[in-house]
Amino acid sequence: MANLKEIKRKISSVKNTQKTTNAMKLVSSAKLKRTEELAKKSRVYAEKLTELLTEIAQKMQNANADGLDNVYFRDVQNPKKVDIVFITADKGLCGGFNSQTIKSVSRLLEEYKAKDVKVRLRAVGRKGIDFFKFNNIELSDEIIGLSAAPDFKTASEFISEVADAYVNGDTDKIIVVHNGYVNMITQELRVDQVLPVDSSRLELNSVSTSELEVEPDDDDTLLDALVKRYVEYTMYYSLIDSLAAEHSARMQAMDAATKNAKEMVKELNIAYNKARQEAITTELIEIISGMESMK
Amino acid sequence: MEFMKLEIITPNGVIFDGEVKQVNLPGSEGEFGVLAGHATLVSLLDTGVIVYEKTDAKEVAVAINSGYVKVDEGKTTCIVDGAVALSGDDSDLAKALEEAKALLKSTESSNSAIAAAVAKVEQIGKSF
Repeated sequence: MANLKEIKRKISSVKNTQKTTNAMKLVSSAKLKRTEELAKKSRVYAEKLTELLTEIAQKMQNANADGLDNVYFRDVQNPKKVDIVFITADKGLCGGFNSQTIKSVSRLLEEYKAKDVKVRLRAVGRKGIDFFKFNNIELSDEIIGLSAAPDFKTASEFISEVADAYVNGDTDKIIVVHNGYVNMITQELRVDQVLPVDSSRLELNSVSTSELEVEPDDDDTLLDALVKRYVEYTMYYSLIDSLAAEHSARMQAMDAATKNAKEMVKELNIAYNKARQEAITTELIEIISGMESMK
Repeated sequence: MEFMKLEIITPNGVIFDGEVKQVNLPGSEGEFGVLAGHATLVSLLDTGVIVYEKTDAKEVAVAINSGYVKVDEGKTTCIVDGAVALSGDDSDLAKALEEAKALLKSTESSNSAIAAAVAKVEQIGKSF
């Protein structure tokens, strides 16, 4: 029976898919654990760096009656040029992970366009690049490979370039968009303003710094260097966060795929058994009617 | 002798966190030593070697590329980009030495600063 054979073939093909998705799920969960560990380690660094930056900024604010007077802290009410850095995965098969980021970037793009703001897009990750290229939207940076394996040096080289553009006045604002990791089953889209530094996030006025001595004896040099490091670090952390989210999203997607495959095999098995039963019944009827006619 | 807390932190994790007798730091304005009770200070760190003396009087060196240090009365926090620890009880010291040298050479500091730091690392390597 052709039908029987066909169902059998389908069952084995679905079973194979199930094996693949299950393996991918396991791989992702292992990778997720490693990335989580990486994020945990570097979080200490982030805390200390933010603490130090806050203290220095605080000291400068105290020293200067007009508040913080530094290029990295200038408050731009109506930016004319905005750089959007967005991070997607290099690979697919992770549910809505990439499309969520892309959607959000597209929305931001529209919003800024409506306000007549010039936007430059800098893409990290193949999926985002592919999407915007397909839609003929220009990207001023295309970086592949960084989102799959975050590396502090590469990340800081990339963001330094962007930060230089900000210092030179080529751009007024830098935003990083990525899909961040919350827990095993939730990802959250994060839109962070990297430059100018959002001073409200630094919790100024909370620390006393009267005794703080600074070397080299020039607050600006130190603050500049600190902010640069802060920006570099924010980029690096976004990459790690994004990678963790990617793995958790893929884990979920593959888990769902495995479950669906299981369901499908079950249904196909029932169909197969029915078809087989039918074939047997037909055969039996044929034999019986043959015997009847011989009487 | 009084002890103080020392932390050395990189983006890839904590290199050291514990009590020390004293620490020598490669500040951007010159090398300086810190003992417990030092005045509050923030400084840039240049490419070089951090040397600290543990509570059991053993010295440990950590090669760094660049970063910051914040000194409080009872606590010194070093925030650095990259660091390789070199200690006498390390079994694969040779490998650590190579790593330290590679780290120092990869920085953008002036050649003389790098050369000085590399020479220091080599010297430390021999002393163990």
